[in-house]
Amino acid sequence: MWSRNVASVCRHRTRACLRAPSRSLASVAETPSPLASSSTSDASTPNVVLNAAVILNRSPILTRTPTLFERAYYAYQSRIRRALFNPFPTDFYFKTGSLLEKKFAKEEKLREREAFGGPWMLKRRKAGPAAMDEDGILIASTDQLENMGEEPVDPPAPRIHEADKTGDVKSLDRAGERNLYLLVRGKDHTGKQVWRFPQGGLQEGEFLHQAALRDLQAECGVNMDTWIVGKKPIAVYQPSLPESTKKALGGELYTFFLKAHILAGQVRPDGKNVTDFAWLTKQEIEPRVEKDYWASVKDILSDF
Amino acid sequence: MSAQAATRAPRLATTAGRTVRRTKPAPTLKPLKRDEKGVPIPHVNLIVRDTHRSRLADHYFQTLQDDLMYMTYVHEPSPRKPPRPVRLAYDPNDPYTKHRYNPPLGGNRWSKQLPPPSAPDNIVQLERIQIHSMIKAAAGSRVNLLGPIMALRAITGANEQAGGQHTAEGVQLVKGRKNIQGWVRPGLPVGVKVDLKGPQMYDFLSILVEFVLPRLREFQGVAMEGPSSRLDKMSAASGVVSFGLPPQALGLFPQIEVNFDAYPQPFGMHIHFVTNAKGIGAQNRARALLSGFQIPFTRS
Repeated sequence: MWSRNVASVCRHRTRACLRAPSRSLASVAETPSPLASSSTSDASTPNVVLNAAVILNRSPILTRTPTLFERAYYAYQSRIRRALFNPFPTDFYFKTGSLLEKKFAKEEKLREREAFGGPWMLKRRKAGPAAMDEDGILIASTDQLENMGEEPVDPPAPRIHEADKTGDVKSLDRAGERNLYLLVRGKDHTGKQVWRFPQGGLQEGEFLHQAALRDLQAECGVNMDTWIVGKKPIAVYQPSLPESTKKALGGELYTFFLKAHILAGQVRPDGKNVTDFAWLTKQEIEPRVEKDYWASVKDILSDF
Repeated sequence: MSAQAATRAPRLATTAGRTVRRTKPAPTLKPLKRDEKGVPIPHVNLIVRDTHRSRLADHYFQTLQDDLMYMTYVHEPSPRKPPRPVRLAYDPNDPYTKHRYNPPLGGNRWSKQLPPPSAPDNIVQLERIQIHSMIKAAAGSRVNLLGPIMALRAITGANEQAGGQHTAEGVQLVKGRKNIQGWVRPGLPVGVKVDLKGPQMYDFLSILVEFVLPRLREFQGVAMEGPSSRLDKMSAASGVVSFGLPPQALGLFPQIEVNFDAYPQPFGMHIHFVTNAKGIGAQNRARALLSGFQIPFTRS
């Protein structure tokens, strides 16, 4: 299923997404913190170890490129609107005979011909296609503006950044239309080097969202402005561990994920716990992480 | 060459065993008739739909909706209890009292109701923006409303039945309803208002946030009540966020800025952001949504 965002995933699978995990969250939240529980441990109440992980998101910085169908649809609707709209009150907006009025009339003629064509269009098509931006809007070329005695405007930056061409996954400018998520390379609970989200343990008396922020700063440096969305975890990862590992850890392991946004700055890995990092889309994350880890986070990552 | 090929084509087709009737050339299109305003009348009823993607609507569906779902989620592990009846109701099974009206004691207390349970279907969403302005001078002479009507039309792009959509109401006159001595009479036009929905609403919001509010002098943000104010007041439970703009803000809208002198008198306006949030604390959820559209809020 090609879903748009997390809310739409939940809408399709309300029971699976909202009910089941939230129930388990509630039952886990009831259990005392690991330090407190270890002192009063007995066979009936298993100990738990809580981890807080951060899903650090860079939201899209560009609008999505419209599909061919969308472009055709919008162009068609724009032509209908242009054909039907009320006459523009030129004398209300411009002084008659002013330079601005002439400029507007010229540009308007250009837009009219661009929308409906005409003999002049045929000549232009032979000469070469007009400069259009992604939404099919005509970009005025510099010589037209120079005719009116104005300075040329800088063209907008290209939609494909250099980081996309070089394949630089550390750049925050890559894949501007997509949601990017921070993945770091570090040790997991077994001591193996894996790709995972930045995470860490809880200190005594600490809330999840406080621990998440502290652990993010510990692993990725303080050179980032981040904002943790809400105080509630949005996913949980519970690996099925052998008894020996559980004993070494001190109990059952739960990793809670909290969503965060990056507002400014960049990751600076400390080089000890974390050796590498990457800003990846959902589809790029899947081959890098373990299967059960992927199963617990895939529904909370945005498809676009 | 191409014209010759077109005339020969039917003869070639007859060799395939069927007769193809010679077709008439397509009729030449006459230019459209025009009404008294000079606007062309199309042959069919056309409805103009969206002409571009809405950037803020995309932002809402890509980022804000998820965040608001996480922020406003309230965990309710068990289903809610049905509300306790305040007093005995007439028995609907008794044929004598079957259709008798059962008003709840003390009104339905809509502002005291809990918000609906958290679900992906009722994430807070912007439904419409209403702009309205009361023009005092209109009580003396209704000509004074022309400037505000033109200004609101320029700011919002709203037009009556625009694009053939019969729900587009455009800029409307607000008429007095009560008789207040020396001020308002019933039926007297005293102001203008406009309702915005869909892409127009998001366009207005982006212009407000990017051009007007940053250039407004001595604007610290939209003032909120203190944290101790009750959440079940009608204003706090209706999911509407309102604030006013001073008359100086009118000249900051780029549509007005280009010919500010053409408008006789700058006027202030009230802006209401109507969301689908309901129940106790709905206004705070609406504020969270607007904050995601970068409208600043401050504590008074």
